[in-house]
Amino acid sequence: MPMSSYNIPIGPVHVVLEEPIYFKLQVEGETVVGLDINAGHVHRGIEFLTMQRNFYQNLTLTERVCSLCSNNHPFTYCMALEKLAGIEIPVRAEYLRTIADEIKRIASHLFNIGIIPHIIGFDSLFMHAMEVRESMQDLKESVFGNRMNLSVNTIGGVRYNITDEQSKYIVKTLENLKKPLAEITKICRTDASIRRRTEGIGVLPKDKAIAYGVVGPVARASGLPYDVRVVNPYAAYDKLTVYPAVEQNGDVFSRLLVRLQEAAESIRIIEQCLHDMPEGPTDLGYMPDIPAGEAIAKSEAPRGELIYYARTNGTPIPERIKWRVPTYPNWAALNVMMPGYKIADISVIIGSIDPCISCTER
Amino acid sequence: MNIADFLVNALLFPGGLFAVLLGLFLTGLDRKIYARLQRRVGPPIYQPCIDVVKLSQKEMVIPKTANYTAFRLAPLLGFAGMLAATAIIPVAGIYSGLYQSGDLLVVLYLLSAPALALVIGASASGSPYSSIGLSREISIMLAYEVPLLLVFFTIAMRVGMALGGTAIFSLSSIVNFQLSHGSLLFDVTLLPAFVAFLICIPGTLGVVPFDIPEAETEITEGPLLEYSGMGLAMFKLTGGLKMLVLAALTVALFFPVGFGDFWLVNLVWFIFKCILVMFFTTTLIRAMQARMRIDQAYKFYLLVPTALALVSLVLTATSFRVG
Repeated sequence: MPMSSYNIPIGPVHVVLEEPIYFKLQVEGETVVGLDINAGHVHRGIEFLTMQRNFYQNLTLTERVCSLCSNNHPFTYCMALEKLAGIEIPVRAEYLRTIADEIKRIASHLFNIGIIPHIIGFDSLFMHAMEVRESMQDLKESVFGNRMNLSVNTIGGVRYNITDEQSKYIVKTLENLKKPLAEITKICRTDASIRRRTEGIGVLPKDKAIAYGVVGPVARASGLPYDVRVVNPYAAYDKLTVYPAVEQNGDVFSRLLVRLQEAAESIRIIEQCLHDMPEGPTDLGYMPDIPAGEAIAKSEAPRGELIYYARTNGTPIPERIKWRVPTYPNWAALNVMMPGYKIADISVIIGSIDPCISCTER
Repeated sequence: MNIADFLVNALLFPGGLFAVLLGLFLTGLDRKIYARLQRRVGPPIYQPCIDVVKLSQKEMVIPKTANYTAFRLAPLLGFAGMLAATAIIPVAGIYSGLYQSGDLLVVLYLLSAPALALVIGASASGSPYSSIGLSREISIMLAYEVPLLLVFFTIAMRVGMALGGTAIFSLSSIVNFQLSHGSLLFDVTLLPAFVAFLICIPGTLGVVPFDIPEAETEITEGPLLEYSGMGLAMFKLTGGLKMLVLAALTVALFFPVGFGDFWLVNLVWFIFKCILVMFFTTTLIRAMQARMRIDQAYKFYLLVPTALALVSLVLTATSFRVG
């Protein structure tokens, strides 16, 4: 007798989704057989808005595209415009950009590291991860003055500087973060109740990962050592050593491990930056004009490769700004990850790609 | 037993009002300890009472797709079942139970009332999440009832054989036997059954790692999804009562012995033992575990507690044949 087939709606409003998106799942019995993604609930027309404002107003606007990777948007936007105008930014500014970026990465990864246990019902670890993450929020607040949007980047440099005192404070905070992070990593690696819900779930094989062009932790969990910081260094990454975390199994567990390792790696990168950072100016000292032209820049956001395209015509207002965010290829790969798994696994698979809907629909 | 006694026992103490309040207190305490284990402040202990009062004042929305009568009556079924169970279970030194024989089997039937209420409510509500929750509820119920029945039978046999007869399915006899012969908890042959019974409690209560039918982050509370107002309040009350019934049952079956004859001391001691049972089977477990999948939970219940209960059953049966 054929099993009954029916549809389950996940979203647009669902406990597991932090942002509105609508997944229509075809289910047979308890097993998922198909997936339909219906996006567009948080489209705000930000790309259009960037073409109404001048280059400097857009710094503020792009920072507000999304929350967890908010630093990467103005960061990459600035890099695209600097490339277009041929601006060389001071070396210290490169380091400062890198530091801000890595702090945001730790905060973003720890958020997802907390969310995954929450989805599988392990709320104690969720609370613990969030408590650990709070030290990063404090760090952001005391160094940058904000807990979410850092307002670090400007065209030609950065808008903050790190004093010796702040440098010591950052080193101390990171030192205090190491132990709880190692503890969480150990729990995630060894706890049987986490492993039985994440191992072998939502597998994305390497060949499919290549075919779908997935990026970020999702790609690295499937055995692809693709990290923009390594393959195409920007800011200060050419002067630093970055070891991309790569796992081979491509399941939810691997993606969790990749994020844990990357958070630890980010701590090391920031320490390296603070150690190597030269003295000097942090910006150009003036607001440069942007000539006509077009350029493209990319960076490694916490969720993967973020690409910005900019075309200008010599006026203070860009002719076209276009970006491709990491979630866009990653959520398409859900078509591979979902079928064959149980209804109970749907949420954790969605959570494991760490979807950022606001970025993707902007 | 006269009618007045019956009414007092069923409506005031230990069933009825007292049970409802104690159940809510246990729920509140569970939430508070759970929060402290996670280094949160947590809600005040009387929070479940506030919730129930608040919910009872709200409108009960009934979906268009729902079967009106079944949807309205399902919460009552579970609540009534649990209320009846609280009146049946004896409390050593205070209350000797409503019936003299066979009430252990009645309790077993009544224990499935809340699950059946959820199933009826879910199937009447017409929501896809509820129907997933419904099928999960039935699966897990089938799984945990097997070891539960085995444990009940083992204890009935143990007490019955010690008294020189066949299995005794009477809670008051079991309690009285322990009052004169010492708690069954300290009987090595019954230790596996005790563990098996404790393992069944989180499954029956539907808390992590066995909150599969209600899994909030998967199927958004499943069977409870469409419930609001008084209906939801009823289910919350039922949850509290269920916790109390299971704790009281554990106490009655394994360590009912109290101190002396003074009722207040025995009552406090009983409540303390209920809290202990709740802490080790519910609060601690759900703070340390992630949720299982239904297939994993089903397999787990049919393997671990069933095997433990069988070990006890065989040990009990053989020990008396040799002796």
